[in-house]
Amino acid sequence: MLENIAFLQSDFFTGYIQPVLVITGYVLLLVVPLILAMAYLTYAERKVLAAMQLRQGPMMVGPFGLLQPLADGLKLLGKETIIPSGANRVIFVIAPMLTFMLALVAWAVIPVNAGWVLADINVGVLYLFAISSLGVYGILMAGWASNSRYAFLGGLRSAAQMVSYEVSIGLVLVCVLLTTGSLNLTDIVMAERDWWVDLLLFPMFIVFVISALAETNRAPFDLPEGESELVGGYNVEYSSMTFALFFLGEYMNMILMSGMTAVLFLGGWLPPFGIEALAVVPGVIWFILKVCFVLFVFLWARATLPRYRYDQLMRLGWKVFLPLTLIWVVIMAGVLVYAEALPNMAGG
Amino acid sequence: MIPPVFVAPSLAVAFPLIFLAGMSLMLLLLGVARKTEDFKSVNNLAIFSLLAVAIVVARFSDERMEGLNGLFVSDPFAILMQIMVLVGAAVALSMTPRYVERERLMRIEYPILVMLSTLGMMVMITSNDLMTLYLGIELQSLPLYVLAAMQRDTVKSTEAGLKYFILGALSSGMLLYGCSLLYGYAGTTNYTALQLALTAEAGMAPGVVVGMVLLMIGIAFKLAAAPFHMWVPDVYEGAPTSVTAFFALVPKIAALALMIRLLSGPFENMVDQWRQVIIILSVLSMAVGAIAAIAQTNIKRLLAYSSIGHVGFALLGLAADNAEGARAVIVYAMFYMVMTAGAFAIVLMMKRKDRMVEQIADLAGLARSQPLVAAAMTIIMFSMAGIPPLAGFFSKLFVFQAIIDAQLYALAVFGVIASVVSAYYYLRVIKVMYFDDPADEALDRSNDPALTGVLTISVAVLLFFIILPTSVLTWAREAAAALAQ
Amino acid sequence: MVTAGKRNWLPISKPTRPTGKERQQTMIESLFFYVLSGVLVLSALMVISAQNPVHAVLFLILAFFNAAGLFVLLGAEFLAMILVIVYVGAVAVLFLFVVMMLDINFAELRRGMGRYLPLSGLVGTVMLVEFFWIFSKWTSDTAAVAPHMRHAPLEVSNTHALGQVLYTHYAYIFQLSGLILLVAMIGAITLTLRHRPNVRRQEVSRQVDRHPKDVLRVEKINSGEGVS
Repeated sequence: MLENIAFLQSDFFTGYIQPVLVITGYVLLLVVPLILAMAYLTYAERKVLAAMQLRQGPMMVGPFGLLQPLADGLKLLGKETIIPSGANRVIFVIAPMLTFMLALVAWAVIPVNAGWVLADINVGVLYLFAISSLGVYGILMAGWASNSRYAFLGGLRSAAQMVSYEVSIGLVLVCVLLTTGSLNLTDIVMAERDWWVDLLLFPMFIVFVISALAETNRAPFDLPEGESELVGGYNVEYSSMTFALFFLGEYMNMILMSGMTAVLFLGGWLPPFGIEALAVVPGVIWFILKVCFVLFVFLWARATLPRYRYDQLMRLGWKVFLPLTLIWVVIMAGVLVYAEALPNMAGG
Repeated sequence: MIPPVFVAPSLAVAFPLIFLAGMSLMLLLLGVARKTEDFKSVNNLAIFSLLAVAIVVARFSDERMEGLNGLFVSDPFAILMQIMVLVGAAVALSMTPRYVERERLMRIEYPILVMLSTLGMMVMITSNDLMTLYLGIELQSLPLYVLAAMQRDTVKSTEAGLKYFILGALSSGMLLYGCSLLYGYAGTTNYTALQLALTAEAGMAPGVVVGMVLLMIGIAFKLAAAPFHMWVPDVYEGAPTSVTAFFALVPKIAALALMIRLLSGPFENMVDQWRQVIIILSVLSMAVGAIAAIAQTNIKRLLAYSSIGHVGFALLGLAADNAEGARAVIVYAMFYMVMTAGAFAIVLMMKRKDRMVEQIADLAGLARSQPLVAAAMTIIMFSMAGIPPLAGFFSKLFVFQAIIDAQLYALAVFGVIASVVSAYYYLRVIKVMYFDDPADEALDRSNDPALTGVLTISVAVLLFFIILPTSVLTWAREAAAALAQ
Repeated sequence: MVTAGKRNWLPISKPTRPTGKERQQTMIESLFFYVLSGVLVLSALMVISAQNPVHAVLFLILAFFNAAGLFVLLGAEFLAMILVIVYVGAVAVLFLFVVMMLDINFAELRRGMGRYLPLSGLVGTVMLVEFFWIFSKWTSDTAAVAPHMRHAPLEVSNTHALGQVLYTHYAYIFQLSGLILLVAMIGAITLTLRHRPNVRRQEVSRQVDRHPKDVLRVEKINSGEGVS
């Protein structure tokens, strides 16, 4: 017993074990709700689509079909993992893990409430941008390692698409940074902007949401998976858990992108429109509501819009969004300098 | 606490550079808007802006000015070298239109890339910092790679571009490694500060010496000095001839200027270390230029090896490490440009039944069909061989004077021998023109006034330099004197 | 630029022996250093020795990651992120793309290797020995270095510090880099763009310009008559 106490007070415990335990606790606090959210996003998607198509959606498992995601998950877990004989085994298995891992790792810097963030780093926006630009590897590796034409084509399409839209996302981020003067996400949420600056940012908000759809390979930009032409795209050859990881990764990415939208444009955990009275509701609720709103837009788009043709998608990315965002950066920078509204002019 | 405030530099000193950059961007827009059929007007505008910049540079004050936060320097040496580069580029462009029309290379990017490359050379010449040096070299060479591969449907041109690119990338790597070692020692990339840090005792530190040598090797690649010349013959042969003319005329001058600037600036106190390097480069280049050229049958390859030899002679002047040496190098570079311009004007004239030919044997019988062109070629070849009283003789003479002053007698003897050996293949060209029987029909008569003009001026300068030598020598002396400050 | 000159090239020998918490931090830091640089060196080795080109590119990406990690250790978080964004997020993707689509027979490419191995091995060894020699005798002219070193001001993040000098003090260099990128763009277009006259492209402006009245004819068709 005494040794135990001594151990608890030792350098080794306070220096290494304790922080690791605390950090693990925080991570679990973030990850468990996220995985739940992800599961129920699939449920929400089916319900929303059903409602828009005047159907009922899943109703059988549990009340209102609420246990459906769990049933789906169990079903996938119970299946056999098949690795095609021509596949490059190592890469084939790493690819889904990478996709899922990257989708989770990005959450480390997203502040869900004032101070509720795992790593409040200086370059949060760049970190998010870097992680989201890595998402393409999982898909590219999966497409290549499957050794299947459909998967390969899907992988290539998706890589080209994600790289294209990343460019405009980057420029949109520059616009946001111009108004906040910091790369730290908490600072970005707290930045005080004049109403006309918000107005200037609004087109960039639209561009960002559309690019986010393309970045997550969601409808109407879901060509990589285009089931009518590619039988499901890069993940044709995947089954069971490996497939589930891709599937979860995709939904996690959607939530992540919605979270980014909320932080960058919708004021994160702050009550909407700066209405002080609404601050009685905890910040995290506001954050969740905003994320849900953006997610709803994702689903809405899927229910309403037909799929783009591949050349149209590329044209939109390179010939419309890229020039538009580039010019917008120049305009915003010019206006902000002219109005002396640049934050941190002194560099603090 | 308010953090340190950095101010943007005054841009006035860099006006010529900004002007040239602005003009090339304008021409790019113009070219995009008007499509490719407008090659000629874009080309003319490019020549015009190069010459205009040359005039602006010429009117710069003679004082030494550092600007742009010490990244830029302007002195009489830089001014003279910039004018040479700009005029050389303008001459090279003026020789292109007919050629590119025939070869279907009429693309507006051509003159624009030449302009941007020239801009890079100006940046190199006016650099006062290792970072500007590197960016200048990159800005200079990137367009050259593209220009070499411009004739993308022929294997030779593509190969030339690729070879040039890969070796250029390798040399950039060495150069950067050298820069980083120097920076690691001195903690600065500024030439003036480097000069203070790199004292004679710094020459004892292995890192500094290796850094300096790597830096010099990087420049030697661009200069095409042996043993870093492997790419030259293939690139000269494979690239479209008008592009080869540009390669031969201009980039070497900029690289030479950079070498002079570095050796007389930051490495001033490390003569003992760099002199060996320069001597090795020089001796090898002269040997390669003299011996390898003998076996060539293609006139472009011959000129490639001849240019390697000339670089060797120019470096000889640097090895002298005195004011005369620097002056001799500048004069050598000037006449090298004049001779090369003339020689390439003739190469560009060589066509039979409206198709370009480039074998030395194709020149046979030229003395009978076009005696004037043959005479011009003779003068140029004599001058390259260094036969008095042509200008080429004097440029060699000054170099030899300088190294004899520096008491490098063995080197001088070697130079003379190399010069005699190389005379063999220059004279062979003349022999082919005057005494060989043509195997085929005579070459077509040139109808391009630009080529005739360039050739005439080149020959006139070579012939009459002996009458009016003072002004050229004064410029060169003033430029060389500015370096010593 | 920000932290370079301050460190020895191996972070093991610190001048004073730190104690307590400080020691733990150094220990974790050097642990990370060794893990990151070990993986970096190993994956760099794999890049050149991997049989499959796709594996080589993937190892290259791993190498970039570890290099970014080293930057973070140096306190240069901005550079680390930019390294990941630019090299991993853009350059290597395109690289992987090309390598996956090319049908390279690597065994064929490697055939000449045995012939060149002795020579390249010799050159490599000589270089290695030389650089060992350089760094074993490494001295730095501290008196000359000190006045030129511009440390990042402590009160701002290094992103701010970089931004402050990049657009002011080094504006010239910044613009030159821009020109180089422009040249690269012009070059790539010049060497690859071919106008193929008989390719059908979508022209949105033409599509939008089409009016129903130009292309549609509304006719009332009586039964049994048809359209003329």
